[in-house]
Amino acid sequence: MSELFEPKIVAFVCTYCTYAGADLAGTSRLKYAPNVRIVRLPCTGRISPMFILKALQKGADGVLVSGCHPGDCHFTHGNYHARRRWMVFRALLDFTGISPERVKFSWISAAEGSKFADLINSVTEDIRNLGPFDQYQQLIKETESPATL
Amino acid sequence: MITQERYRTTVKELLANGSIKMAIGYKPGSTPDRRRPLFIRTSEEAEQLVLDSTCVQNLSGYLVSEGLLSDEKRVGIFLRPEGVRSINILAAEYQLNADQIVIFGFDSTGREVRPLDGRSAREFSGLLNELKEKPLQIYKEPLLERIEKMNAKERFDFWQEEFSRCIKCYACRQACPMCYCRRCIVDSNQPQWVNTSSHTLGNFEWNIVRAFHLSGRCVQCGNCDRACPVNIPLRLINQRMANEVLDGFDHFAGLSATQEPVLASFKKDDTETFIL
Ligand code: SF4
Ligand code: SF4
Repeated sequence: MSELFEPKIVAFVCTYCTYAGADLAGTSRLKYAPNVRIVRLPCTGRISPMFILKALQKGADGVLVSGCHPGDCHFTHGNYHARRRWMVFRALLDFTGISPERVKFSWISAAEGSKFADLINSVTEDIRNLGPFDQYQQLIKETESPATL
Repeated sequence: MITQERYRTTVKELLANGSIKMAIGYKPGSTPDRRRPLFIRTSEEAEQLVLDSTCVQNLSGYLVSEGLLSDEKRVGIFLRPEGVRSINILAAEYQLNADQIVIFGFDSTGREVRPLDGRSAREFSGLLNELKEKPLQIYKEPLLERIEKMNAKERFDFWQEEFSRCIKCYACRQACPMCYCRRCIVDSNQPQWVNTSSHTLGNFEWNIVRAFHLSGRCVQCGNCDRACPVNIPLRLINQRMANEVLDGFDHFAGLSATQEPVLASFKKDDTETFIL
């Protein structure tokens, strides 16, 4: 295997912080791994765990969920609600054998363009090391409705 | 037997003096160790009442049947401690008014059935608080510990094997008193979140969603586990999630009718060690 595995990663981000952070990374001409497809949502509180499952269902090897730091939420506490939900959902994924290494969470503010770029690079590297999510992709194949990512 | 007779008399009295309009209990089922729900409106119907150690089903789901409580009359119901917890959750989630529910509490050790003190959910708070302190002993599952020791791949294989048998009958959902949504997310097809076919992928998604929606709400009554026709050990997932909210947020579901749902509340200093 000489060719490098390029993981597919889906990032669900809130529009006020992380998306703006990603924008800043772009306008600052920071280079980061092209493996991430960004989905912008109004708030981390709007990021349903269903989205994570959907991304996996469509063949993602990893998922990133990111929003405003605690205290900075545009809607004052959407991210506090999200944090609890993630913690529980993460435990559930872990218990059913979907490694939490594949589903990452972060806080990135609108000012943290370089944190965004660094995080995307490190997440991509981590997922690359884990390799493709074969177990799940085998299940997708069995359904005869191939992934569309 | 004494408990059964005593409760039968109580039910008849309460029906006769109009304190309750109906009592929900158990009657004989298709085999000697099975019970069916019994809806008692008259003293003749009360004669069919059975109360013994095989009365395991959590009947509280019947209380949210459409229109049952809308006349504000009171309804009696036979409940184990888990059932009382569901009443509290249903009340905390504004599905019913706990004051309308008259509880005939019971519990059993071996074949012995004993009555529990209290007629309203509030009066059980002492008992429920005790349960909170010792649930881990009661529900200790060797299999749960075995799964926790596995690595991710082994765990995935374990659940793949289990979930591959799921036929998506949704009996687990129908049997669960906490699953009262008129329209379940799996019935929604625009967008279609969960694969509807009972292939293993769809089954994984369904079982994860079910467990997530019951996290911090499940009372471990075992209705789902018993209802599953292919014996998927749903109790293990439920127990794992109950441990998670207890350890993480000190939350024991159904302690009181005013308890905040754990996933609809937060603390500013909730743990976030996993967040990058
Ligand atoms: S998930 Fe199962 S054990 Fe938990 S409340 Fe529902 S039916 Fe009872
Ligand atoms: S009861 Fe069992 S077979 Fe039926 S949907 Fe639930 S897990 Fe699947």
